[in-house]
Amino acid sequence: MYTLLVQKELKNILLSSKFTATFIVCSILIILSVFIGIQEYNNAVSQYDINQQIASQNIEEANGWDRVRNIAHRKPNPLQIFVSGLHFDVGRLSNISSRDDVKLSRSPYSDETIFAIFRFIDLAFIVQVVLSLFAILFTYNAINGERENGTLKLAFSNSVSRAKYLLAKFSGIWLGLIIPLLIPLLVTLLLLMVYKVPLSGADWNTIAAFFGLSMLYVTFFIGLGLLISALTQKSSLSFLLLLVIWIGSVLILPRIGVMTAGQLVPVRSVAQIEALQQAYEQQQWDEYSESLSNSWKQRMQEMEGMTEEERQAYRDEHEWNWMEEDDALRRQVRENITKNNRLLLEETQNRKNHQQQLAFNVSRISPASSFRLAAMNLATTDITLKSRYEESMRTYRDIFTEYVEQKKEETDTQGGFQISIDSDEGVSIDFGRDDQKLDVSGVPQYTAPDVSVAAAFGRSIIDFGLLSIFIVICFGGTFVAFIRYDMR
Amino acid sequence: MEHTESNITPAPMLEARNLTKVYEDGIKALDNLNLKVEPGKIFAMLGGNGAGKTTAINLFLDFIQPTEGMALINGINANKEPLEAKKHVAFVSENVQLYPNFTAMQNVDFFVRLGGKTHYSREQYEAALHRVGLQSSAFDKKLKDFSKGMRQKTGIAIAILKDAPAILLDEPTSGLDPKAGIEFIRLIGELRNEGKAILMSTHDIFRAKEISDHVGILNNGILMAEHSSDDLRGVDLENLYVEYMAGYMEHTESPIANALKPS
Amino acid sequence: MNNRAVPLVFNLLFLNLLFNSITMFKLILLKELKEIIQSNRFVISFAVCSVLIILAFLMGAQNYLASQAQYEATIQENRAQIAANTEWYNINHTITLPPQPLMALVNGVSSDIGRNIEMRSRGELIAENTRFNDEPLFAIFRFLDLEFIFGIVLSLFAIIFAYDAINGERTSGTLKLCFSNSISRASFIAGKFTGSFLGLSAALLIPILIGAALLPVLGIELTSDEWLRLTFIVFSGLAYFGVFLTLAIGISSITRRPSTSFLLSLVVWIFAVLIIPRSSVMIAGRMVDVPNLDEIASQKNNYRIQLFDEDRPKLQNFSIPKGTPPAKAFPLFSKFMGELSEKRQDKIEALEERLNEELENKKREQQKLAFSIARISPAAVFTFAVSRLAGTSLDLQHRFNDSAKEYQKLYSNFMEEKTGKSSGGIRIIVSDSDEQEEKKNLDPDEMPAFNFSETSFKETANSSFTDIGLLLLFNLVFFGGAFASFLRYDLR
Repeated sequence: MYTLLVQKELKNILLSSKFTATFIVCSILIILSVFIGIQEYNNAVSQYDINQQIASQNIEEANGWDRVRNIAHRKPNPLQIFVSGLHFDVGRLSNISSRDDVKLSRSPYSDETIFAIFRFIDLAFIVQVVLSLFAILFTYNAINGERENGTLKLAFSNSVSRAKYLLAKFSGIWLGLIIPLLIPLLVTLLLLMVYKVPLSGADWNTIAAFFGLSMLYVTFFIGLGLLISALTQKSSLSFLLLLVIWIGSVLILPRIGVMTAGQLVPVRSVAQIEALQQAYEQQQWDEYSESLSNSWKQRMQEMEGMTEEERQAYRDEHEWNWMEEDDALRRQVRENITKNNRLLLEETQNRKNHQQQLAFNVSRISPASSFRLAAMNLATTDITLKSRYEESMRTYRDIFTEYVEQKKEETDTQGGFQISIDSDEGVSIDFGRDDQKLDVSGVPQYTAPDVSVAAAFGRSIIDFGLLSIFIVICFGGTFVAFIRYDMR
Repeated sequence: MEHTESNITPAPMLEARNLTKVYEDGIKALDNLNLKVEPGKIFAMLGGNGAGKTTAINLFLDFIQPTEGMALINGINANKEPLEAKKHVAFVSENVQLYPNFTAMQNVDFFVRLGGKTHYSREQYEAALHRVGLQSSAFDKKLKDFSKGMRQKTGIAIAILKDAPAILLDEPTSGLDPKAGIEFIRLIGELRNEGKAILMSTHDIFRAKEISDHVGILNNGILMAEHSSDDLRGVDLENLYVEYMAGYMEHTESPIANALKPS
Repeated sequence: MNNRAVPLVFNLLFLNLLFNSITMFKLILLKELKEIIQSNRFVISFAVCSVLIILAFLMGAQNYLASQAQYEATIQENRAQIAANTEWYNINHTITLPPQPLMALVNGVSSDIGRNIEMRSRGELIAENTRFNDEPLFAIFRFLDLEFIFGIVLSLFAIIFAYDAINGERTSGTLKLCFSNSISRASFIAGKFTGSFLGLSAALLIPILIGAALLPVLGIELTSDEWLRLTFIVFSGLAYFGVFLTLAIGISSITRRPSTSFLLSLVVWIFAVLIIPRSSVMIAGRMVDVPNLDEIASQKNNYRIQLFDEDRPKLQNFSIPKGTPPAKAFPLFSKFMGELSEKRQDKIEALEERLNEELENKKREQQKLAFSIARISPAAVFTFAVSRLAGTSLDLQHRFNDSAKEYQKLYSNFMEEKTGKSSGGIRIIVSDSDEQEEKKNLDPDEMPAFNFSETSFKETANSSFTDIGLLLLFNLVFFGGAFASFLRYDLR
């Protein structure tokens, strides 16, 4: 009985022209999106490679360790083929230097704004928008359509239990929609292999989890379609209702949730933070130069009344200490600035995290948000993409600047060039440089932060759970509604 | 009417006992209906729109719950043990629609299997479809291209193939052309002769008179009268019906009804 | 036969016919209006659309006010930072793209382009800090703006309303009944389209007007130019709505069953709205090889280093007559160095200009190709039209840059006035430490203010009218198609 009902549902779906049309459309879309995604990824990778080369070349060709300019780049992530997430919105690179703080800038969209107009279609988008719409299209009349057909009456003139019928209906529709969906998805995996996209074992697991998530999401809309069609008598009404719910939950609620919550918690803009940082920096350097001139004055005072020779001797004796003192002071100032910068950033980041948490939680009333957030978390193209990279680049900056400092001392070059003006010798400039290329073999390399699969899963588990709860609610609701459904 | 009255009345296959249905909005759709249909008999419920015919059939099929009384199929309470009861009944709805994307054969196959009959071969399906008068060329056509009559025939084929002892027919002849109507009546007769108990609702007086063993006239949920076909022989049923419909019977004495009243 | 009577009779006949068609047209139109307004579909979708449209205005206003507050805070911090300085050469002046109300209503690319430019007296200006990079939170689901509501939601509703316009009447039998009277097919379909378009667009105008009226209430004052642009944005929206209405009517007049036409319309919608604009821009964009920005940046940088290397011997060979006191020697050296650096800067700027121009040309070529292909989809045409009108098209980037360049001249003059001739990157400051003069903090008001040149209606009119015209053309073509196929429609 159960298998018979499942078979019928399957046949009913697979034999319809509706199915043929949507299957073709979905397959084209899925394969096209992954194909374009692979192209985009390869593009990003080749750009990344070139940029890496340029960066190390720039270090190599610098005129001295003090003039080394380093840039760290965000590494393209093969999973962005499926879930581009924030990849296109977040800056690609940051300067790494002792002077500037780390800041990701030049997002792919700001560099190539033309692609920002319509944005990129990734698989996550297709699942979120197109597949959910199709799921509704196949379920809006699942129950009330059979009532209108008279087949519901006819079926229940036999000894069929409602529970069994509903279960069979659900499984039939589920199989009929999900299994065909697997075909283009498997084709995309094939594409990944043909184009030799470098995927680790963990990446494959993540892709599998993403496919699972997509199925969960589509299942929700199947359940929703069944629920609404079990709550209404006319398929035209259930269709309209479902469409409205679809528009609301897929297109509207995520935006509204994020926009309102985002604006409830105002966060400082980057320019604002920078101005604050600069003001502090200025103040620190002003203090520094003041204390420097004070100490000079003091030293001069100490030498007051000495003869020229005594002065020279005194100077020779103390010069090293003085230099060390000044140097220590300068280091202190730098440290203060860095500390203050980080403090400001941390403060802002905390506020941002608060804002984001609030926004996400509000938008999670829509399963579409849950799906999108979980997909991004899985693919690690989520909201933490920026802070994650900036954090790791900061660590790298410390390592790098320390290395450069050390090299500077080794090669004994001071910052900038020295201009000495002497009434006898005129002006002489010391660039303190060697014309050789710098030996960059020992330069610490930046490695992209790695998010373990477990961590990525961990962060998406809430949304997996939420989607499951939504499904259970839908199914439970359908069950209750169908048990009391008026079949006439 | 070839069959003969026997003295021993067999147990009724379909029975309504004090069957009453009051909807939530207070409308009394069926008021204390009592009827019995024995195997090999046809009971026709006559009545206008809203008389309660379809309500009665829905009660037998457990699509709605009775307010009072019970509907029994083969002695089983259809509302208490619907799954058991429904094993003994086949149903043909008014305006059979079926799955538009399925062919006639697929529809028949599905519903017959759903009725618990899984042993049929394609030949048997074809035979049944032939029997109801569907052309062979239509067997593998999708239902959405079928005419009303063809769909109705498919529905009856499903009922025949289920081979249940009781058959419920809801307005089976509505919308059929005369030829199809006659074929249908012939078919119902055959089924009766095979020993099926048939309860049909109709507003087609002539067919009801022609084929039924019993005719019940329903108005506003009340079974106004029940007559055997013998009673009706020679009576102007049309007038009788109209009189019942007009509610004459409650107030005045109609000459025709008087003639039928048991003395 | 009277010769003159013929044309008269003919005329009368013609007039009669015309009159008849007009009456019929009116009758159909009114029927269509009534049918729409009384339907469940209309009630539900009208409610949803109204809520959404008003919400779009509210959220847009909110968004604008929030960005305005952020903008002002940014400006304030920048001024405070300048005011904390005592020397003009020490300041870090950043100019910021001011938010505009229409930007919030039609977001366009305004969140994808850099908003801040660090001002320098000379050289290239780089816009940084895109909104989406600063606040990636909003990039995840983007904003709820009018472009989105019209572009996606209302176009879908147009299809929901019209997918069964013709074949639905066939299945319900009303089509036969209508044509059992003396009515021409032309006036039927014309009445149908006009009726549904008028009914629906009038319904849409209500929440739009409410939303627009809310703007001043929420404290957003639009200039008359902005009102004019907003009016045309709404007009484009309605024209775009009409495209999908005629499209769906057309599809329903080439199919027999509403279910088929709905599916077909939906597929067309998915492609026209979601797929074609995106993929055409992506594919065409990749067809034109635009130089890698990082390569260009490195090229510029290498050139700078190379030039400095060339100048180094010159600097080292600098000599002054022996015995010149340092107080005199220094300005001489400084002048020499300044001149060299000036020359270098000129060369660098020439290269930068050349590279940037090449890049711009390539980008323009890419844009032209991508946009021409994307324009096969009315959704793309609509996006181009409204983003131009709102001033949030790709031009925004250019305008911001141009304004910044204009400002750079003022700024450069100002800085020269305050700090003397800039020596391009290397500044030598001789401060006499003995002199204990109390330093005064700077007054940011002395600086010239940055004015962003906003688009005006006149500027955008030309380019956006092409797209609005294209939308009207789409209307015409689809209606023509619907008309032609309906003339041959099998009424049974």
